[in-house]
Amino acid sequence: MIDEKILVWRFNRGSKDALKMLYEKYKDDLLGLAITLLRDRSLAEDVVHDVFVSFAGTTGSFRLSGTLKGYLSTCVANAARDRNRSRSRRDVGLEAAEAMDCDSGDPVEHAIDSEQSGRLMQLLGHLPYEQREVVVLHLHQEMRFKEIAEALGISINTVQSRYRYGLDKLRSIMNSMVTK
Amino acid sequence: MKPTKNIEEFVKLEKPHVTTGETMDKRTLNDSFAAMDQTIRAKKRSTAGIRSRAAKLAAAAVIIVAIGLLMVYRNPPLPQQPPRTVNVAKSPAEMLTAMSLNLAWRRGGIEAVDEQSEKAFKVLGSQPAEASIQKLLVELNGV
Repeated sequence: MIDEKILVWRFNRGSKDALKMLYEKYKDDLLGLAITLLRDRSLAEDVVHDVFVSFAGTTGSFRLSGTLKGYLSTCVANAARDRNRSRSRRDVGLEAAEAMDCDSGDPVEHAIDSEQSGRLMQLLGHLPYEQREVVVLHLHQEMRFKEIAEALGISINTVQSRYRYGLDKLRSIMNSMVTK
Repeated sequence: MKPTKNIEEFVKLEKPHVTTGETMDKRTLNDSFAAMDQTIRAKKRSTAGIRSRAAKLAAAAVIIVAIGLLMVYRNPPLPQQPPRTVNVAKSPAEMLTAMSLNLAWRRGGIEAVDEQSEKAFKVLGSQPAEASIQKLLVELNGV
């Protein structure tokens, strides 16, 4: 936490090393969030790229309230929502989970990761975007409901109800999968 | 399937672990550095602009003050003379006394003048030893 504040302070002083370290620290996590939300790796990469470029543009005037992870996650969620709205209404489909192919080094690790995350992606793919967003921000990004409500500009009750409906739907899908 | 019992744990555990590619890293960092440089340049320009504006204002203020001082030294203001007072009448106390005595004379003759003069002396708070009705009449009539 202190390291993060020092990095942010250095970033505000125009240190490119600090920016690079911040990027290295959060890039994978943010890309995972964007992929989970958009279910499209190439779009997700664009979102993370745009978020970092716009973050870099705030050097000298960036004021951190809360955690940087929370701030960047909010930016990614907002940018992903914009992308989700603007992209054509084509059905992303369950096979979009395959789009998570990445150029990570170890093929075995990649295969395991793909299988695990593919299962979750399949499930989350059944949720409406709003519910998926809240579930992922709370469970993956460890953001509190209050933070999510502030970030998305909605009431905390709405956040909680979306979360509850999302989990109920996931549970019913999984139950139906088990009975089959 | 256990995750059905604890769906939250399942979602947490199944969090996708993805890694960014080298191409993406390079593209993002290069663009971020460019954005950072652009912001820093813009801020420097704006700071320089503010400084130059402040310098212009300071120079203008110095010129105005210098002109003011020059004008003051070239045309020094005339020394102010104390206002003259012209004595056009006697003092109010005297006037009042004379007037009241005149009125008193018209009203009730010498007794009224005497009584009035006594009152006037009381009001003025001083009673000259040589003051008398004769003297007052001389002052009143000018004879």
